[in-house]
Amino acid sequence: MIFHGLPVSKGIAIGRAFVYEPFKPNVTERIIDAAEAAEHTKRLDEVLAAAGKELELLQQKMAGEDPDKVGIFEAHQDILTDTAVIEEILELINKELYAGEYAIETIYENYFRLFSEMDDALMRERCADFRDVKNRMLRLWMQQDTPAALQTAQVGLDAPSIIFAKDLLPSDTAALDRKTIQAFVTETGGYTSHSAIIARSYEIPAILGVEGFMDKVKNGDTVIVDAVEGILILEPSAAEIAQYTVKYQNYKQEREEIKKYRAIEPLTADGERISVCLNIGSASEEELAAAAFTDGSGLFRSEFLFMSGRELPGENEQFQIYKKAAETFGKKQVILRTLDIGGDKSLECMELPKEENPFLGCRALRLCFERPDIFKTQLRAALRAGVYGNLALMFPMVGSLEDLRRAKEFLAASRRELESEKIPCNKNMAIGIMIEIPAIALIADRVAKEVDFASIGTNDLCQYLTATDRMNPGLAPYYQSYHPSMFGLINQVSQAFIKAGKTLSICGEMGGDPAAVPAFIGMGIKKFSMSASGVPVIKRMLTRLTMEGAKKTAAAILNMDTAGEIETYLKQQLSQRMEGEYVRKENGDH
Amino acid sequence: MYAKKTVIINKSGLHARPGSAFVREAKKFVSKITVSKLDGQDNPVQSGDAKSLVKVMSMLLSKDTHIEISAKGEDEHTAVDTLIDLVDSGLNDL
Repeated sequence: MIFHGLPVSKGIAIGRAFVYEPFKPNVTERIIDAAEAAEHTKRLDEVLAAAGKELELLQQKMAGEDPDKVGIFEAHQDILTDTAVIEEILELINKELYAGEYAIETIYENYFRLFSEMDDALMRERCADFRDVKNRMLRLWMQQDTPAALQTAQVGLDAPSIIFAKDLLPSDTAALDRKTIQAFVTETGGYTSHSAIIARSYEIPAILGVEGFMDKVKNGDTVIVDAVEGILILEPSAAEIAQYTVKYQNYKQEREEIKKYRAIEPLTADGERISVCLNIGSASEEELAAAAFTDGSGLFRSEFLFMSGRELPGENEQFQIYKKAAETFGKKQVILRTLDIGGDKSLECMELPKEENPFLGCRALRLCFERPDIFKTQLRAALRAGVYGNLALMFPMVGSLEDLRRAKEFLAASRRELESEKIPCNKNMAIGIMIEIPAIALIADRVAKEVDFASIGTNDLCQYLTATDRMNPGLAPYYQSYHPSMFGLINQVSQAFIKAGKTLSICGEMGGDPAAVPAFIGMGIKKFSMSASGVPVIKRMLTRLTMEGAKKTAAAILNMDTAGEIETYLKQQLSQRMEGEYVRKENGDH
Repeated sequence: MYAKKTVIINKSGLHARPGSAFVREAKKFVSKITVSKLDGQDNPVQSGDAKSLVKVMSMLLSKDTHIEISAKGEDEHTAVDTLIDLVDSGLNDL
């Protein structure tokens, strides 16, 4: 049985399932006699003391094992000992005569809701802490004395296990003994959720947002988690286990090998400096940790900010996040791509009209033109953040020069607004576009005159160039990213930008593909932006590449007739270059 | 009763860690201490117990917010002065 989900922390695991079910309080509204109120007040004191003791023990445990996570329990301790909150609970018990368990439930849930609705993303993330504290107190109130999270973790995880859960609260993930956790699989949660962040910081493979597995998996079942591709296999066959055992070993060996290359300066074997940049989405600490090893961010996908919340992020919230990214990279350029929503990306906080062909429809810049309020809020936030670093703006889905000029007018209007409000903003922000629509790629010479830079989004360019829906797995053979037209067109764009003296980069999947990058370098492109895991892979390949070799590779493939031919050639070239180094088998297979 | 005004200068405001440090300091005093969030004309728009992290965080006291700290009790002067100095120091979060 195969399930798909969002791989938020890469890796592969084969092992025993452990279905994690946290304590679920069941509280109903209940009124007590005035005479009972004193008893409930006393019980509350006892529960507060017991919960405080548990949290202290957890803090001690964490201080030894993982000092960074002590803060989670300190925050819980702060909430637990908050006198203003305790007073509110006492008031419900003594004045309204609500039963203690219902008073606890009501007050903490109030704060859960209040915080979950805040504009500020950092504050929103704190809401889970209230629920955590509430659950701890209710469990103690109901006299289940052993910390449920700890107990299940210790009892269930005497051997390495793959954790399955509907969702994981911060205290669940912290209390679980991470040395015995092979992987996480949850039904809810996205790339920036707490479980995802924990998984990445511990380098535990994780797939989140997998639907409908909870009633199909039992404790002790053998399962396979491929958090590279986002695949969960329940009841795997012997052949699948054998296949994934090899994949796991290869993956592990390769990760160790390439890690050494992460921090080196990206130079070709003959000393040509290539820019290796980072694709980022949420600007979280974990993501920005790789900033030091790269030459900037060639793609900051701002839509992640819009996808994680129930409400559209406000100007200040966006400003804070853009500023943080700009400050982290310092003098290095950060290219912020304006909202790219529609197509395959939908929003919880905004209803998008249903379309027959969403990829050909009102997405990205087109949607921003329809919703100037959203567009301007983002532009204002970016212009303000531009004061704090080297921030550049990039417009997605530009199909014509009219599109570009119109977007620039929006930007100029937003800048004028800020200036009249006397709010500091960047007056000379570099402006670029994504090249992903063939119509704009074909007039690259004219585009280059009106932008400071451009970046080729190979995923969408391939989809539009080959007229293949990239979300339809059945069409995969037609989605040929090595199609001769792809290389031909990219070469044409590159020559136009070289002539105009403007920077061109590649930020799609192919920008991190060690087989394709040499061909692009041969065409004169010297800037690539990729995920953090791609950085050491590309840097390692560069050490084996000469400019002359790159030019030969480019010249050769530009004369080839089919995608198959090009793919075979590029992969052969890569194997030859990397000879003596460990290269993942599938790179030389085709 | 003793009160003073200031502006929050640290980058994450009185949220999370800086907020905890602020509340921890407030708890060292016996006086009743109140933090108020001020609007552009220095009028209070929201107030809360300075010894309650939950209340302090609920007020969304971010960078550049104008606040007033007031205290009533035997150590009201030291309480307000110490807390104002702490906020002005940037709470190790500049």
